[in-house]
Amino acid sequence: MISAHRLFKSYPGTDKAEVRVLEGLDLEVAEGEFVAVVGPSGSGKSTLLHILGGLDVHYSGEVEVARTKLQYLSDRRLARFRNRQVGFVFQSFHLVPNLSVLQNVLLPAFFGAESIDKSDHRRADELLERVGLLAKRDRVPSQLSGGERQRVAIARALLRRPRVLLCDEPTGNLDLQTGDEIIALFRQLHREGLTVLAVTHEERISGAAERVLNLRGGLLVNSHQSQELER
Amino acid sequence: MTFGSLLALVRINLRREARSVFFLAFGVALGVGSLVFFVSLGLGVGKVIREKLFAVDQLLVEVAPSAISLGSFGTALNQGVIDRLSALPQVAAVFRKMNVRVPAMSRYDGDFFGSPLRIRLEILAVGVDPGLLQRDIQLGDFNDPPVDQPIPGVISTRMLEIYNKSFAPARNLPQLSGSLVVGFTFPVEFNSSMIVPSARGSPIRSQVQVVGLSDRALLAGVTIPLATAIRVNRAGLVDAETFSGATLVAKRADQVPIIVAEAKKMGLKIDDRERQLAESIGLAVTLTTSALTLLSILICVLAAANIAQTLFASVRARAREIGIMQSVGASQTDIRNIILSEATAIGLAGGACGTLGALGLEFLADRLSGSYLPVFPFKPESFFSSPWSVLLGGVGLGVVAAVLGAYAPSRRAAATDPAQTLSD
Repeated sequence: MISAHRLFKSYPGTDKAEVRVLEGLDLEVAEGEFVAVVGPSGSGKSTLLHILGGLDVHYSGEVEVARTKLQYLSDRRLARFRNRQVGFVFQSFHLVPNLSVLQNVLLPAFFGAESIDKSDHRRADELLERVGLLAKRDRVPSQLSGGERQRVAIARALLRRPRVLLCDEPTGNLDLQTGDEIIALFRQLHREGLTVLAVTHEERISGAAERVLNLRGGLLVNSHQSQELER
Repeated sequence: MTFGSLLALVRINLRREARSVFFLAFGVALGVGSLVFFVSLGLGVGKVIREKLFAVDQLLVEVAPSAISLGSFGTALNQGVIDRLSALPQVAAVFRKMNVRVPAMSRYDGDFFGSPLRIRLEILAVGVDPGLLQRDIQLGDFNDPPVDQPIPGVISTRMLEIYNKSFAPARNLPQLSGSLVVGFTFPVEFNSSMIVPSARGSPIRSQVQVVGLSDRALLAGVTIPLATAIRVNRAGLVDAETFSGATLVAKRADQVPIIVAEAKKMGLKIDDRERQLAESIGLAVTLTTSALTLLSILICVLAAANIAQTLFASVRARAREIGIMQSVGASQTDIRNIILSEATAIGLAGGACGTLGALGLEFLADRLSGSYLPVFPFKPESFFSSPWSVLLGGVGLGVVAAVLGAYAPSRRAAATDPAQTLSD
């Protein structure tokens, strides 16, 4: 489902020297897998996620997600890929503050090839019901708790029935209990066949994943089965 | 992204930034409104000049015999010259004119449309070929009548306007409509004057009956049939052979310069004082309104700059939101279209409001002018002319100004790097 070969990525540093983040990284994720990528802050976890999700195009190497080779896509096709094939869940939720919960969930449908119709609304309502927020569909994000906002973000990510869910520190801004609820939701989605790739430095997420990859020095230096899964 | 989705998203965005949108649209409305107002004013005043003050027919060329000057004796406008003018391929018709060359006066003592009037007036008269005024004749024929019958006369519509707006109010005389004047008969004595010693021969007493009003009639006098003028001149023992002028009708307006050149070659003078006066006044009006229009365009440019500045700030403030939209499937084109569509909506609203505001202001100005400005000759019912092209142009300018202002911000918005803006 996800395949990356010899990925290189660097940023301009403060003293004209380039900061290399990814140095020939290779990655393979099978369809339906739940994979966690762990590593210290600044190791390039989010960068890797942005590249795999088609948000970052300034890299070298080959990336294929859901049978789509990203490096060859035009901006329009890349946008369509983000709209149809992947869903993002961010640490800071990234909801549009002035849109209602329902409008936030519907946001991906605004950028589809067809106009928003009743089926989109039905799908949004289903997802909101699933994450327990149907009653709050007309509220704006500022009227929700952190956990609720993240559940809205997950509903938004799932609206277009993506094949891959890309999560960037999804529990980083949540308390323990709420974080556990979100992780439980990811596991449920994974059981339903969704491919989940989460970058995190939290052990509870890596504990929930089938496979954990460790990103160090710009490379995925080791991978091992999740102990929880083994149990 | 479909057009419907684009509209829905733009509507949501504009609604939540209603305050900012209002001020941006107000700027556009100010520029567009003043532009429509001044252009309409220029067109309206120009229309009055063309249609009322100097109703210059573009097909007509007035020729006159050239004056005698040092080194030349001028060219008499006799029938031979008239025939040569008629033979020009660009000329559709020639209408001869002959001044009544003996003095004439009117002694009126009686009822004048319900008011007593006793007046003596020196009268100027010119005879013309009937065809020149045929379209304006409302009563009987415009031909030389038998001696005991009144002479048909046509008076100038502009003279009636001046009478109604200046002369009549000053002397407490009734204002007259065109239809009221037609049929009015007044006495006239040719070969008779209060100030010029009487010419050879005795006075010829007759009556003139107004049979029509025309823009082509003599401004300060009465226009009578050419044959009558010739008869009166013969009776007064003055020149009844050469013509005072002729009106040439061109087949097409673009042929007028050729006719003018040919007439000049024949030694004739072109009498285009009215045309030149109309053009001069028209030019003055055009220059004034152009200056005001430029000012309005400058306001539109400032509105566009304001839109650019505000949208730049908005794009900066909405960078994360733009990144979010990109993460869920917005392309660079989508982002650009959103910003440009928002600007289009602002321009459309501002342009429409400005145009409607200008129309309202025009209506108000006309009402105030009707109520508070004194009556004067050629005072129009409206000082404005607002054809659809001006109204649609105003709205279009609002949109163009807004879109131009939004162009650079939209490019910047489209260039937003989602990976950077969404990094926690």
